[in-house]
Amino acid sequence: MTELLNINALSVELQGKLILTDVSLSLLAGEILGLVGPSGCGKTTLLNTIAGFIHQTKGELIVRGMRPITSKHRIAPEHRNIGMIFQDYALFPHLTVEKNILFGIGDLKNIEQKERLTRLIQLLKLSDYELRYPHELSGGQQQRVAIARALAPQPKLLLLDEPFSNIDARLRQELMLEMRQLLKELNMTAIFVTHNKDEVFTFADQIAVMHQGRILQTGKPASVCHQPNSWQVADFLQLGSWIPVKRNAGNEYESALGIVRLCNDELSKVELSNVQRCNQKIATAFSYQLLLKPRFIEINDSQNYNVVVEHISITEQGYHYFFKSLSSSSDLAFEHLSYYSHDLFELGQSLAVNIKTHDFLFFDK
Amino acid sequence: MSLALVIPMLVMLTEGVSASTDLLSHLWQTVLPDYLYNTLLLGVFVVLLSVFFGVVSAAVITHTNIVAKGMLRWLLMLPLAMPAYLVAYIYTDVFDYAGPVQRLLRSWFNWQSPTDYYFFDIRTLGGASVVIALVLFPYVYLLTRTAFEQQDQNLLRVSKSLGLSTKQSFYRIALPLARPAIAVAASLVLMETLADFATVQYFAVNNLTTAIYDTWLGYSDLPTANALASILMLFIFVTVVTEQRARAGQVNQSSRPNKNHQLIKLSVSQQLIASIFCWLLAIAGFILPFVLLLFMAWEYSTVEQLQLLIPFGFNSVEIACWAASLSTVLALLFTLFKRLSIDKLRAIPMQIASLGYAVPGTVISMAMISTFAPIDHVINDVAKFFAIKGPGLILSGSIFAVVFAYVVRFCAIANGTIASGLEQIPKSTDFAPASLGAGLWRMLTNIHIPLLKPSIWVAWLLVFIEAMKELPAVLLLRPFNFETLSTQIYQLISDEMLEQGALGAILIVLFGLIPIIWLNQSKNKR
Repeated sequence: MTELLNINALSVELQGKLILTDVSLSLLAGEILGLVGPSGCGKTTLLNTIAGFIHQTKGELIVRGMRPITSKHRIAPEHRNIGMIFQDYALFPHLTVEKNILFGIGDLKNIEQKERLTRLIQLLKLSDYELRYPHELSGGQQQRVAIARALAPQPKLLLLDEPFSNIDARLRQELMLEMRQLLKELNMTAIFVTHNKDEVFTFADQIAVMHQGRILQTGKPASVCHQPNSWQVADFLQLGSWIPVKRNAGNEYESALGIVRLCNDELSKVELSNVQRCNQKIATAFSYQLLLKPRFIEINDSQNYNVVVEHISITEQGYHYFFKSLSSSSDLAFEHLSYYSHDLFELGQSLAVNIKTHDFLFFDK
Repeated sequence: MSLALVIPMLVMLTEGVSASTDLLSHLWQTVLPDYLYNTLLLGVFVVLLSVFFGVVSAAVITHTNIVAKGMLRWLLMLPLAMPAYLVAYIYTDVFDYAGPVQRLLRSWFNWQSPTDYYFFDIRTLGGASVVIALVLFPYVYLLTRTAFEQQDQNLLRVSKSLGLSTKQSFYRIALPLARPAIAVAASLVLMETLADFATVQYFAVNNLTTAIYDTWLGYSDLPTANALASILMLFIFVTVVTEQRARAGQVNQSSRPNKNHQLIKLSVSQQLIASIFCWLLAIAGFILPFVLLLFMAWEYSTVEQLQLLIPFGFNSVEIACWAASLSTVLALLFTLFKRLSIDKLRAIPMQIASLGYAVPGTVISMAMISTFAPIDHVINDVAKFFAIKGPGLILSGSIFAVVFAYVVRFCAIANGTIASGLEQIPKSTDFAPASLGAGLWRMLTNIHIPLLKPSIWVAWLLVFIEAMKELPAVLLLRPFNFETLSTQIYQLISDEMLEQGALGAILIVLFGLIPIIWLNQSKNKR
């Protein structure tokens, strides 16, 4: 497969404020990329820059088959052949479904227009609705019209801005699967923006996590979750709870749940290099955050109580607890340690908890 | 382009300011204090009266169980359609020494001469204030009523749950929250009062607008007229700033509008007082003068008058059409530029173009004369130099100046209407056409302009109607022997012969009703 989109060191400044910093990204033809990150991290700005609605201040944007786009050599959005589906769909309210879909292909021959229209109407199950106006359709139908309209000019790349945010939660899963299947059938390359991490796993082949205008990590969703490269990535994807640790001597780390000792095997080296990478000032800062997934902690029978039950809820995996540390040292105290169990504890009950040996993930906050 | 609209005003201001200090000190020693005093006093009286009429009626309509509320609700808006000078004339006719009221009183009580009894004189500053307030109070009524209706109903519920009675909640919650709206309305009233010309002229109350008119048309003294217009501009500027600040305070609108809150139950006597108050306002501000106009038309209208009306009406329609079309096109350009440009200063053209609305017609006229007359002279000098026959006063002496003045004055209306229409179109609609390969032109002609069609039409209509009614600008700027409906009526009023022009007056009032009906409907829809 060949690269369809290549973004090199892209920066965007709006009203004197740096919104995107040094963003680099590449996407293979036919791949779907999920762009995630907290609100205001620059996801939509990146999408609008790729579409051409916002001009980059620095860097290069290369779409296959087109000359590179830089801050000096711009290409107007209408000449980029990049389709976009907007969060509110932006259907033209005064045009029927049919005219909406035909809007982008008015230059084609009549026969060809008809052919594409028929195929899209069929593909998106919109027959019987051709002559209706957008306000006469349900949310899901409107979204399908928006997709059909964006696909009609056969864009090289499709951009989707939070496409599922206006859809009823119960319908969402179904629509996502349907749409993914459709994009795959058409071998369409797509980037979609969401702040809902769960959508990425259903819909995307690749994930890019953004934070404060930068892309922190890209890769397959599963590998990013397994090996997050920074505190922000792990925190946004809610991969576990955070407990503070302090480095003692050598490979020993002190926490409110006891001493964590790293073995000198390959895995722990990887984790340590992780720490090095995201913390430039490692020499001065000796405190880190340890990422703890619920399955890596266990309750023991000793009387050395170190946590207290703060919150209980019931889930399909049993009771879900949040523990708070009993540590007197404020440096190492934590508020929310997530834990699942079929045993019922009481609110305010003190427990003794220890960390199981596993591939530790340390981060600098 | 928007600058072109304000340049005349700047020319006038510079000339006004550079008018020799001698002149100003001369004015100051002679008539200026009187003019200023009258202008200020009139402003204060009209604002106080309008606020009293408007706030009380709005409160009664929204917060009490007054009978015939549905009818009063819209009747109270109608006085807006009445030009103040018409009401002034009609009431003078009614309440004058020779009018029916005094005649009736004399015959009842057998009085012989004015020394036998006291009767108020309507042709005074006080009378002018009442008459102007009677047609301007609906601004206060409308904005305050809307403010009351938009208040979050939970606020009133909370105050009741804290032990306040319905009446106490009104005084301590609803009224204070409506204060910014009342301030906005009061400044609108003040602007309109400062701009009024015909009423004060008719009542012989000398203020700045009549002074400008007299110095220019009576004494052909352009520098003095400019200086006076600049002083009036200063007043307007202060009012505009006040209005902007009041607007900034309007943050109390809620998404849970106050539709079915509990009403204050009026006792029988209260019901009577409230009804008399509201009905008197509606009758005095609209019904009575309109009925009297109808009577006059019925009694005095002849076919010749009707035939005479046609060319005047045609003139009115012609300049109103020009003004409406130009204003709408300009407004469309300014608003779309503001919306679609990425320039940092994109909002400026529209803001500049909207400045003119606050400026009285007399002031704009002075600005036109001081700007275009010199240009005309240059054009004619150039023509003379090439030994061609000069075109005459093609700018300042033709309907060009009138239309230009109208566009300056009314562009703000078109701007506002189209801008609010544009706000209804989601931002993503600006991007969607480009993502489908359509360029700017195709986007505007196929998407934005079709979507804006209703707003464009309303903007056109509103400017058209305002231009039909406008009097001072056309009076000062019209070419020789060019009469419109409003100048003809003004002329007839000056000659105490309105009876002859009643038909034209009715026409103007009917035109004025159109936007009010439209406003009422769009409010109901919301």
